Amino acid sequence: MLAGLEVTNLSKRFGGIVVADAIDLTVPSGRIVGLIGPNGAGKTSFFNLVSGVVPPDAGRIVLDGKNMTDLKMPQRARLGLARTWQNLRLFPSLSVLDNLLIGARDYPGERLATLVFQPGRIRRTGKAERLKALEVLERTGLAGIADTEIANVPFGQQKLIGVARALMNDPRCLLLDEPMAGVEGHAYRAIQKVVRGLAESGVAVCVVEHNVAFIRDLCDEGVFMFAGKVLARGDVESLVADPRLTELYFGT
Amino acid sequence: MEYIYAIAILMALYVILATSFNFIIGYGGLISIAHPVFYALGAYSSALLARDMGVPVFLAIPAGGLIALIASVAVALPSLRISGDYLLIASIGFQLGILELIKNLPWTGGSGGLTNIPSFLTQTAGREAYVAFAVAAAIGSVLLLRWIAQGPYGRAMSAMRDDELAFAALGRNAMTMKIAIFALGSSLAGLAGGIYVHYFRFIAPGQFDILQSSALLTMVVVGGLRSTWGPIVGAIALEALPQAITFVNLPPSVLGPLQGILFTSLVLIFMFVRPQGLIAASERWHGRNEEVRDARRA
Repeated sequence: MLAGLEVTNLSKRFGGIVVADAIDLTVPSGRIVGLIGPNGAGKTSFFNLVSGVVPPDAGRIVLDGKNMTDLKMPQRARLGLARTWQNLRLFPSLSVLDNLLIGARDYPGERLATLVFQPGRIRRTGKAERLKALEVLERTGLAGIADTEIANVPFGQQKLIGVARALMNDPRCLLLDEPMAGVEGHAYRAIQKVVRGLAESGVAVCVVEHNVAFIRDLCDEGVFMFAGKVLARGDVESLVADPRLTELYFGT
Repeated sequence: MEYIYAIAILMALYVILATSFNFIIGYGGLISIAHPVFYALGAYSSALLARDMGVPVFLAIPAGGLIALIASVAVALPSLRISGDYLLIASIGFQLGILELIKNLPWTGGSGGLTNIPSFLTQTAGREAYVAFAVAAAIGSVLLLRWIAQGPYGRAMSAMRDDELAFAALGRNAMTMKIAIFALGSSLAGLAGGIYVHYFRFIAPGQFDILQSSALLTMVVVGGLRSTWGPIVGAIALEALPQAITFVNLPPSVLGPLQGILFTSLVLIFMFVRPQGLIAASERWHGRNEEVRDARRA
């Protein structure tokens, strides 16, 4: 059994458009793999297939030896799969801290029966989760804005909140969809540090990113995707240097 | 005096109905109009259980709530599996279907209505006791739903309304939550039905038609969606309004349509002028004090 994410023969087409063409891709636990490729190469679609937003036509998705191909999105999350979104998808009606609390893997207060019959358990877990959320906010440098509304948080920090919310799940595999687009300065370094720390603690990380410098800084290896296929895999430097791939990336 | 008691009980029941309807459409974001039918199901079940099967009224009333709960899950489960929008269509069909059923079944009294329903409390403890009972039920319902909305469950409901996809990707099941919200709201309506029926001792299917749905919607929208006080104010105001008009001594042929026009124009006016209702709820979710205090302290 491979610890980490193991995807085999993953395929999906929408009508005539092939977004995943027999993709074989592994992200071993503790590694950071960057997905590179032009727009429309199928990178985000790959994330959507793995996280369960859309069901695949064929293929297998296995996390830490557990087959999750037939599981729905919430069940996959409960097995330790976490993701962020290109367009953030934070909860605007909740404070930063409350956004994180929705990310906790199991929150018994969100079940009506438990709410009525086991109030003590809710108080204990609730408190533990709040402490954990505050600890994650501390680690990501967001502790100062715990009580702030999402709308009042600058964009870079919103991206960081997206990552922090995913951390609340104690993920075994984290899919980061363009975590750096529009981010600079403190938030940039914070995301970098957090993601590295996660990989060191054994999380399998997969990153979609157009910022090649970031991929080069962060990823152990890169995967080049084009038209729903994995074309090449290797260290980021050699992928970026490959004239054939550069041509595909920028088009001719 | 009896007139005042009747109004007080009706106001209390409409507070339960509007508050639980607000829970479904405001907090749950579920578009349904069938709320009066769950009220009807509770009323008919409780009445028939007590009248024809000899069930004591204090058991028949919660049984009515339970039957409304089961029926609501049966409506919500198939329609929510497809998409949220289908709940509206299913709820319209359900409302029309159940009312037709009541009109045509041999043991429901038909369109003429069900009579000879056993009374409760009034003979032994007096009418005042029944008023207290109804008001206590209303206060209990309001407090229960407020307690849920301000706790972790309320936070999750807010998140679900904001972004269902992100909610699911964090391991939460939006469908289970929607069904639970719908079932809880509907069962409270059923409970209100039981309380109604053992005081007024007569029900007819005409009381639970689409006009009743629009009245409830008016109470919630005019009062203020997703606020605790909104549906209470809406229910009391809109229950008092028709009573007030009756004092003007208009002929009944004018009175009925006038009420309809009044309700509809109120909704329209509020939609344009004050969409947040009389009592505006905050856009942001606020937890119970203990949660906030805990967060600050930690």
